[in-house]
Amino acid sequence: MKRIYTISGLLLLFTFFSTALFAQNVTIKGKVSDAKTGEALIGVTVAVKGTTNGTQTDVNGVYSVNAASNTILQVSYLGYTTQEIVIAGRNNIDVKLQSATNELQGVVVIGYGTQRKLDVTGSVASVKGEEISKQASINPLSALQGKVAGVQITNSGSPGASPKVVIRGTGTIYGNTNVLYVVDGVWYDDISFLNPSDIENMSILKDASSTAIYGIRAANGVVLVTTKKGKKGTTTVNYNGYAGWQSVTNPVKMANATEYATIINELYASNNSTPLFNDPASYGTGTDWSKQILRDAFVQNHQVSINGGAEKSSYNLSLGILNQDGNIKTDNYKRYTMRLTDDYQPYKNLKLGISASGLYSKSKDIPGGIFHEVYGAAPVVPVYYADGTYGDPSDYSLGDGNNYNPQASLDFFNQKSTNFRFTGNVYAQLTFLKHFNFKTSLGGDFGQAEVKNYNPVYVATLKQRNTTSVLSQDRTETRNWIVENTLTYENQFGDHRLTVLAGQTAQRNQAYTFNGRAENVPGGGDENMYLSLGTNRTSTDGGSLNTASSYFGRVNYAFKDKYLLNATIRDDAASQFYGDFLHTTLPSIGAGWVITKEDFMKDQHVFDLLKLRGSWGKVGNAGIPYNPLTPTIARDPYLTAIFGGVPYQGASYNTVQPQLLRLEIGVGTDIGLEAAMFNNHLTFEADYYNRTTNNAIFVIPVPSSTGTSGGLIGNQAKIQNRGFEFSATWRGTSGEFTYSIGGNIGINNNKLLEVVSGKNPLYQGGDGIANGALATRSVVNEPIGQFYGYKVVGVFQTAAEVASSGQTSAQPGDFKYADTDGDGVITSKDRVVLGNPNPKYNYGFNTSFGYKNFDLALDFQGLAGVDIYNANVAYRFGNENYTKDFYDNRWHGPGTSTTYPSANVGNTSNSAPNSFFVESGAYFRVRNAQLGYTLPSALLTKIGIKRLRVYANAQNPLNFFKYKGFNPEVGGGPGSTGIDASVYPLYATYNFGVNVTF
Amino acid sequence: MNYSKNILYKASGLVLFATLILTQSCKKSFLDVPRQAQQPAAQFWKTGDDAKAAVSAAYANLHEWTNIAFAPMAIESVGSDDTEKGSSATDATFMNDYDNFTVTAGQGQLGDFWSGEYKTINFANQVITRVPAIEMDANLKARYIAECKFIRAYAYFRLVRAFGDVPLRLAPPKDASEYNIPRTAKAQIWAAIETDLTDAAAVLPQSYGAADVGRITKGAALSLHAKAAMYQQKWADVLSFTNQVKGLGYSLFPNYEQMFRTNNENNSESIFEIQSDLIPGNPDASNSQYSQIQGVRGSTGGGWGFNVPTQNLADAFETGDPRRDASIIFRGETTPEGDAIPATGDNPMYNQKSYVPFGMFVTGYNEGVQQNIRVIRYADVLLMNAEAANELGDATTAIASLELVKARARGSNAAILPKFTTPDKDALRTAIWKERRVELSQEYDRYFDVIRQGRGLAVFGPKGWKANKNEVWPIPQNEIDLSFGVLTQNQGYN
Repeated sequence: MKRIYTISGLLLLFTFFSTALFAQNVTIKGKVSDAKTGEALIGVTVAVKGTTNGTQTDVNGVYSVNAASNTILQVSYLGYTTQEIVIAGRNNIDVKLQSATNELQGVVVIGYGTQRKLDVTGSVASVKGEEISKQASINPLSALQGKVAGVQITNSGSPGASPKVVIRGTGTIYGNTNVLYVVDGVWYDDISFLNPSDIENMSILKDASSTAIYGIRAANGVVLVTTKKGKKGTTTVNYNGYAGWQSVTNPVKMANATEYATIINELYASNNSTPLFNDPASYGTGTDWSKQILRDAFVQNHQVSINGGAEKSSYNLSLGILNQDGNIKTDNYKRYTMRLTDDYQPYKNLKLGISASGLYSKSKDIPGGIFHEVYGAAPVVPVYYADGTYGDPSDYSLGDGNNYNPQASLDFFNQKSTNFRFTGNVYAQLTFLKHFNFKTSLGGDFGQAEVKNYNPVYVATLKQRNTTSVLSQDRTETRNWIVENTLTYENQFGDHRLTVLAGQTAQRNQAYTFNGRAENVPGGGDENMYLSLGTNRTSTDGGSLNTASSYFGRVNYAFKDKYLLNATIRDDAASQFYGDFLHTTLPSIGAGWVITKEDFMKDQHVFDLLKLRGSWGKVGNAGIPYNPLTPTIARDPYLTAIFGGVPYQGASYNTVQPQLLRLEIGVGTDIGLEAAMFNNHLTFEADYYNRTTNNAIFVIPVPSSTGTSGGLIGNQAKIQNRGFEFSATWRGTSGEFTYSIGGNIGINNNKLLEVVSGKNPLYQGGDGIANGALATRSVVNEPIGQFYGYKVVGVFQTAAEVASSGQTSAQPGDFKYADTDGDGVITSKDRVVLGNPNPKYNYGFNTSFGYKNFDLALDFQGLAGVDIYNANVAYRFGNENYTKDFYDNRWHGPGTSTTYPSANVGNTSNSAPNSFFVESGAYFRVRNAQLGYTLPSALLTKIGIKRLRVYANAQNPLNFFKYKGFNPEVGGGPGSTGIDASVYPLYATYNFGVNVTF
Repeated sequence: MNYSKNILYKASGLVLFATLILTQSCKKSFLDVPRQAQQPAAQFWKTGDDAKAAVSAAYANLHEWTNIAFAPMAIESVGSDDTEKGSSATDATFMNDYDNFTVTAGQGQLGDFWSGEYKTINFANQVITRVPAIEMDANLKARYIAECKFIRAYAYFRLVRAFGDVPLRLAPPKDASEYNIPRTAKAQIWAAIETDLTDAAAVLPQSYGAADVGRITKGAALSLHAKAAMYQQKWADVLSFTNQVKGLGYSLFPNYEQMFRTNNENNSESIFEIQSDLIPGNPDASNSQYSQIQGVRGSTGGGWGFNVPTQNLADAFETGDPRRDASIIFRGETTPEGDAIPATGDNPMYNQKSYVPFGMFVTGYNEGVQQNIRVIRYADVLLMNAEAANELGDATTAIASLELVKARARGSNAAILPKFTTPDKDALRTAIWKERRVELSQEYDRYFDVIRQGRGLAVFGPKGWKANKNEVWPIPQNEIDLSFGVLTQNQGYN
């Protein structure tokens, strides 16, 4: 609280210091237009060089600015080449900006500022807001997929969840593996609160020297998001809306009822039991559970924004409504978003502003296991019996593995989630002594998430019933703040250009969850659901809190715009660390050489720009959730003992003694080449990078004989990610036809350089594998988390074949494993590396075409050189259904198959991690296709519309892959990446939309 | 110049305010934040209440899944001729690997059993190591430590039977150098068990007041010690310990069938029972699944139908022995509590000793969560007493103790279960072993009892049991992998 007063005091102070500083100024007016089309450009920044004094052009492209008559005007606009104009006493200066078809000449957003792309010495990619909003994605990050070399986006199949973003390979294993998102100066782990169409620009900082200014949160890469600001001039109103549907694509076909009964009988036979179904054919095709539970889901999204500004203020307000149905019949998500940015310039040397986002969302949830239920449900069971009661798997003596009727699961599941979030910042910016600029910003993120679940009294089937109603309510409060103060000095003298930045920041992040539970709360609608109305009430809470305090500085220097030098340093202290490890200092340096500025390049006409750059830097990852040096006492409910019939909550210590942790540090080198050729038709960028993560923190499992839970958290390893990135774009025009074709590819090699266990391998990846077997192994000099297990060389056909093998306890129809150590028997020593879950190639093609009023964009994206462990095949507890593929290819008697096992694939021997379950995870897809038509303006102006565009959009309409699971996009934590135990289907989305500007 | 002075003034004002923020955020306290909703370990181990909570945690772990459900079923039950997997033929088929002795080291129940027992050992070690430093009532302190020594001994007893040599931990590991330790020879494990039980018996009371019913008693320590001695064929010790127990006032509960119902828990025959109950409003704490996994399949309030009696067991009872009906639920029967068991279903028989009447089931909780687990009964002690006496040549005592058990089963029906009177050592031994089987059936005793008797091959051989291999189970593969070769595998499982 004290700190907030301090800030407001500071803001107040600024308003007092208000005298006009530049008495000798003159007013300069003019119009900015596109050099080619002559069209007026709206919102162009016209700044007085060396100061932050500046303005933006209005809707007619007109600007008016006060400047000293001997200074220089800097005219910049995203997508256009920045121009510098010596005022030389003039009062009226019209400017024609050249379209920077060559993106390498534009302006990019970097940490705590902007920089001409030309001056950047690290690896920074920009994606424009319009490219993001064009994708019609709910989450802005999904829209980045395939757009930027080296950035791998894995969409989660689960509706509403944020995608996993990995920049240049997995460098961190434990804790926070999220990229850092900085939205208008405020730090976030996730930006799902942002409406994609509120985004003006995204800057992706990839190399260590670019991210180093973000210190302890820089190691996983940084994405800087700039939101749309108001523009001076007349008011503009925009409406963007689309409606469409989402439908399951590339579904996995399951066995039908007759096939199911047949294969289950085989399963019983191989378990020496009599068949369960007397006459499989009598069941026909049975119930198609996915048809019963899934649907094509309707989605609609509307956004209205209004922006404008007067001389001393500008604003942008947008309101959005999203209503999205899920593919599961009862699933629905509604989201209301608001974003407001206000900028004031009360005095010439002072700017104040606010940007704020509000979000309210409400969802009707689905049971967590419903997709697995649909996958496993027996097709012999009808949805309803003739008398209207639910079909009951128990009536068919089916096992506990699928003892549910998915329709009943859905009908009696009653959970709603609501989310309130308010986040943003206020800032003040003061220019003084011509070249100095002080900025202070206070950002906050306040959220409240509530999950309310009511389990009513009901009877559906033998196992699906409830006699005591239970209401449970979880409420999580998030309270984060961040203060940042920066002082910038910017000057140009002769051939030298210099920018010096010094800054300080402090932040505090806290989350607190409260859970309550009560029984026998009377039903009767949401408005009557209160814990106080129930009995047997219990409550628990939990949370996390961490703080950090940091200082940083940066110098950017350019000589003749030819030789470039950038250096940063940052010192961080974070609450997760103690003693000698409290502070960490992280330096970085970068240099560039603009070869085309050299005299010897003067006469060549191939290269418009050729730049060589290199950088080195250290970045940190403080992404451990708390100070692990403070061991805590376990007090879980299961530790309740009973004496004399009365419960006693126990408490004790059940973790290993933690070690002192130090910051995880990434050391990265980047060498890049940027080129623009053939009159800027072709731009090309190539990078080589090498990043090692030192002191990588992760959990090493400890022997269970310690009797502890949770393993040993420590600085355990050194990991290397090394690779190349290439991207190229060709832009061209031919009459009224304009086009651009671009491609990018990231090639990454991941390797474990050192691990505290020395040469001993680290086994992980038990999640989702039947019987808890560990399916991955990390060993020095090899990639992290490779799949590890037995190599299948065939399927036993006869008992005689089994008897003469090294697997005498096998049955015919079981996998025959390779005896790799040649000792005649199959033991754990025969396990070998089966595949690599770390993708080697990550690529995308992005094209856009324009002809007269039509525009077309086609984006393609894919992964190659990656393996998936298809854990669903053997993840069986009983009589779950099989895929049609498995049914068709299974072994069911000598000679029927030499590659697929019998129905008994879930037994211990067959379900042991082996090569049968490892498949290629390569895929290629049409990521996005959009066709738009802009109505001729002559028609529209009569009815007061400036611009009207209609479009049709398809996302993921075509997917090509050989993988036999649902979706080749498989995430998972490091060490268990690529293990697919999920059965979320892949979706395609089709939308029709309209953009209107008034 | 006035103008630049003004600027200078402003700049210093800014710097001043910025500095205020800086100093604020730099304070050490700003960076020293507490763990949320967690008690730092440094604040624990201070009071008698902390000691009590830590002891409760050790007790509580005894009814956790890996200690009383699937893992013990795999390791301690289905290998025997008493029970088999049950449930639907295709559910949890890995259980058959324990029944047929085809199990390999990677099977998950081995690891579950291993880690479950070592978790119990850790909770006991925490108390034994840290409670001595707490300032509290000295008698209570000594009793808490004694209770945990019993709990630790019980866990090692289960481990040494299951795996033979195992890592021996008598204190929590101090640091990383103590995480990965080799196996200790089983003779030393047995010695450690005996030391703990001697210590415990010396301190523990004979009984408790009503509020503490369920805590470990002196009788429990002596009885487990007798059993540990019996597994080592130290017959004089067995006799001595069981004789001491006989002097503690236990008596056989008259009605064998009713002894296992929830309303007769902690009865006069009960020596060690793991306490379990349904705690209203707290299903997470009401976590015992002992009864649920064995409950009647296909009936609401029943259970999953695992660990079912074999026909071999049903046939093992003498004609008319009422314990047959008391121990086994047959399809189509109606239980004395009035539950009608459907005539058709997956399995012909279920365990009646873990049976909890269906009417007690509350949805949202495990079926039969109210059931205590009877670990040591006085009948077991009498049969140990009989066996020890016989081995030591005292047929009279042996016959007398055996007869007590048979007489209770016989009740008032003189036509059944005639008294065994042949004072022949071998015949008497056979009779005692047979009595152990029918008296203690499905109580997780039979499998290791037969191996102890040296009859593994004779009794389980037809099912696949092999000498010099199946006396113990394999060491869990994950545990060997994590040990980087420090742990060795048992013979025959490599």
